[in-house]
Amino acid sequence: MTALPLVGFIGLSSALFAIGLFGILTRRNFILLLIAIEIAMNAAILNFVYFGAFSGGVGGLTGQAVAVVLIGFAATEVAVGLAIVLALNRLKGTINVAQATDLKL
Amino acid sequence: MSVEELAFLALAAVGLFTAVAALLVRELVHTILWIAVFFVDISAIYFLLDAPFLGVLQLGVYAGAVTVLLLFGVMLTRKRIFSREAVTGIGAVPLALAVVTFIFAVAAVGEFPQSAETVRTYDPSLLSQYLFTTFGPWLLLLGLLMMGAVAGAIYLVREGRD
Repeated sequence: MTALPLVGFIGLSSALFAIGLFGILTRRNFILLLIAIEIAMNAAILNFVYFGAFSGGVGGLTGQAVAVVLIGFAATEVAVGLAIVLALNRLKGTINVAQATDLKL
Repeated sequence: MSVEELAFLALAAVGLFTAVAALLVRELVHTILWIAVFFVDISAIYFLLDAPFLGVLQLGVYAGAVTVLLLFGVMLTRKRIFSREAVTGIGAVPLALAVVTFIFAVAAVGEFPQSAETVRTYDPSLLSQYLFTTFGPWLLLLGLLMMGAVAGAIYLVREGRD
């Protein structure tokens, strides 16, 4: 029988989300940007899992099921993101997001 | 302090350290190695929370597929794999914004009970039943989204567009 305080988990995922947000705002390399998004996304998925694990009834199963769907969403997002990286690299010769200004007025 | 709490503290410390290291290290390949450790660490937290199916899924999808995809991204976009990134400053405003977000999130923690709660265990077969009945529409949506993503990715990287 495992007993753990919920508060520590919330602190962990808040800190991970803050790290991911910091990475999204500062990094200029497209692949690093994707990695920062993955860190923030993992923090969000963790929330679903442990709120499910600590709640009674069918709540635990709902939390885990949402987490399964979200992991699929995140993997899809990385695949499309890397396709954009490859297209950007071919068009511009760089994967620096500061150079991708074609949609600028 | 119980063994589980010690395990959680260790896993949380490793997770935070690897997340920061992945974003601050200068070789892109080292970043991907750190992020692989981060994904394995998150999967260990799922096992700690008695969610073995999610732990295995995290290992397979994140530590396996996403890491290899990112490595391919690095291999295909640069001539020398181990070339370094230009130094980017930490940036005061993004750091402040991240810290404020963290403080807001932790301030909300006061609403929750501070005591240790029991982790409930669920049989993975119950989870699969739930996924394919109540959550069926969501799984269908996920499948459609993945099909659309495959089509979109092929469209983006195809040769001879112009």
